[in-house]
Amino acid sequence: VRGPDTRSVSGYSRLPVQKEEGSEIMQDIECALDLMRRLPPSQIEDNLAGVIDIVPDLTEELLSSVDQPLKIVHDGDSKRDYLICDYNRDGDSFRSPWSNKFDPPLHDGQTPSGELRELEIKLNEAFDIYRDLYYEGGVSSVYCWNLDGPSFAACILIKKTQDHSKQGQPMKGTWDSVHVLEVEIPKKGTAHYKLTSTVMLTIDTNEPGVTGSVSLAGSLNRQEEKSASTSEPNAHVVNIGTMVEGMEIKLRQTLETIYFGKTKDIANELRQQVQSSVLKQRKDLTKQLNSQLKS
Amino acid sequence: MASEDDIVQIVNGFLLNAPPGEFMEVVTDVRGLLKNDALLNETAPATFREYNTEQMIKVASPTGKHQVLITKYGELGNGEYLDPYGKQVLTFDHIKGEVTNHRALGSGDITQEVEPYRKAFEAEAFKYQNEHYENGATTVYGSKNSDGAFVVTTCISSSIFNPQNYWNGRWRSVWTATFSGSGECELTGNIRINVHYYEDGNVQLNTNFNKAKKVPGGDPAKLSAAVFKTILTLESEFHTSLEKSYRKMGDTTFKALRRALPVTRAKIDWNKISSYKLAADMK
Repeated sequence: VRGPDTRSVSGYSRLPVQKEEGSEIMQDIECALDLMRRLPPSQIEDNLAGVIDIVPDLTEELLSSVDQPLKIVHDGDSKRDYLICDYNRDGDSFRSPWSNKFDPPLHDGQTPSGELRELEIKLNEAFDIYRDLYYEGGVSSVYCWNLDGPSFAACILIKKTQDHSKQGQPMKGTWDSVHVLEVEIPKKGTAHYKLTSTVMLTIDTNEPGVTGSVSLAGSLNRQEEKSASTSEPNAHVVNIGTMVEGMEIKLRQTLETIYFGKTKDIANELRQQVQSSVLKQRKDLTKQLNSQLKS
Repeated sequence: MASEDDIVQIVNGFLLNAPPGEFMEVVTDVRGLLKNDALLNETAPATFREYNTEQMIKVASPTGKHQVLITKYGELGNGEYLDPYGKQVLTFDHIKGEVTNHRALGSGDITQEVEPYRKAFEAEAFKYQNEHYENGATTVYGSKNSDGAFVVTTCISSSIFNPQNYWNGRWRSVWTATFSGSGECELTGNIRINVHYYEDGNVQLNTNFNKAKKVPGGDPAKLSAAVFKTILTLESEFHTSLEKSYRKMGDTTFKALRRALPVTRAKIDWNKISSYKLAADMK
C-alpha cells in the first residue's frame, strides 16, 4: 500500500540508524519506495533491479509492492495472449487465465479454488469486453486468489500500446492498468471491497531539430473502498466492474490534467515565451484601466 | 550477488538521476538501503560534483548581488569555479552545497584575447535571461579551442522547487559559439527540461534538444547581437514546437490509448455485460 510522500529530509550526515530488527526492515522498504517515487519512470525496470541488487533480502516485498510495466506472453493452448505479474507467478512459472495452466508447466502450481476459479473466468470474460469497449485493442487478464475463509483477492490487468513509428509518426504510447482488489465477506449477502489502483502511462516522441526527444512517463496511484450487497447473481462481477470502471475514469482524468496540463505549465514557468517586460507592460496597463474605471 | 563495484555503480547512477531539487532525498534513501557509509563516502565527492555541474546549479555571489552557475565550463580544479562577471573565482563545497571561499581572478584563469567578445555576449545574455527566465541565471565563459578559434559558451539554468506541492523542475540551455576573428560563427545549442510531479505517483517530463546554426561574423557588438537574436529565435521555435507536441500527445496518442467513454457514450451497464459481447459477435 503506497501513501503520499511524507518523508522529511535528513541532512547527509544526520541520518539516524535504526537498531531494532523490525523497524530496520520497515525503514528499508520506505527508502526503496521513496527512491522509486523519484527515479525516472522511463527506467523503472532497471531501477528496481538496481534496488534489489543493493537489498536482495527485500526482493519478494519489492516485487509485490512496486508496479512495473506488464509483460505480454502467449498461451499456445488457448491461442490467446495474457499478462504476467507477481500475482499469477509461482516460482518461475506464470499461469494463464484462459487455460489455467502454468508456463513452464508446474504439477502443483497455486491456482484458485473451484468456486473462485468460476468467478475468475467470469471476470476475465467481463473485462475482456470492458477492454474492447474502452481500449479497442490491448490485452487484459484477471487473476484471483483465496484469502482466509470466504475472502479473496483479485487483480485486474490491462495493457495497451500505440506505435505508428513504421508509418512515420514519431509519437508512441503505453498504458498499463494494475488494479488490486481485496474482497472481505463479513457476512453472507454483503462484501467489502478495497481497491488499490495504479495506471502507468508513457508517451514519447522524437523529432530531431524540432523538439528533440520528449518523454512523458510515470504512474499515478489511488485507493478506494466500498461495501455492497452480493445477493444478486453475478454481484461480484457487477460490483467489481463498476468500481474499476469508475476508478479508471477518475485516473484517466487526473492523468490528462497532470501529464498535458501540469507538466506543461511548469515548463512554461521555467521559461517564459513572452518577454517579462511585455508581461509587466500588460499588467501595468490593466492596473491603469482598472483604476480609471473605478474613478 | 552484485559485487561491491557493481553496487557503487548502481548507487552513483541513482544519485545522478535524482530529479531537480531532490538530490539530498535520494542520498538519504540510498544511505538507508546501503548501510555502508564508508562505501558511499569514497565516491560521494565525485558524484556530488558531477551532479551539481551537470545540473548547472545556481549560487549567490558572496561579493555581489548576482547569481553564478556552477558548471563544467567554469571548473578550474580544486573545487574552484569561474565567476567571469564578478571577476572572481569561487570555491564550492559540493558535499555541503555552499560557497566556502572566493578570490580575485588570476592572469591564468581567463583568456584575455576572448574577453571583448565574452563581455559583449554576457551583456546580451543578461538581457535575454531577464526577459525569458525569471527563475534563472546565466554565466558566460570565453576560451580558445585547440585550433585557436574563439569559443564563447553561454549557460542558462532555470529552476523552481515546490516540494510542498510535490513538484520540481529545471530548464538548462547551453549555447556554444565558435568563430575566428570576424569569420562566420558556428552556433550549437542544447536544451534539456526535467520536471517531476509526485503527488500520489511519479510523473516526469524529460526532454533533450540539439540544434546548430551558422551566424555571420563581426565585431563583439555585432556578433553578440546576431547570436542572441538567433538564440531567441531557435529557443522560441523549440518552445512552440514543444507546446504543439503536448497538444498532439494529449489529443491524439492519449485518446488512442484509452477512450474517455465507449462508442455508446455511456458507462457500462455491468448487469448486461454479456449482451455487449453478443452485439460485438453479431458485427
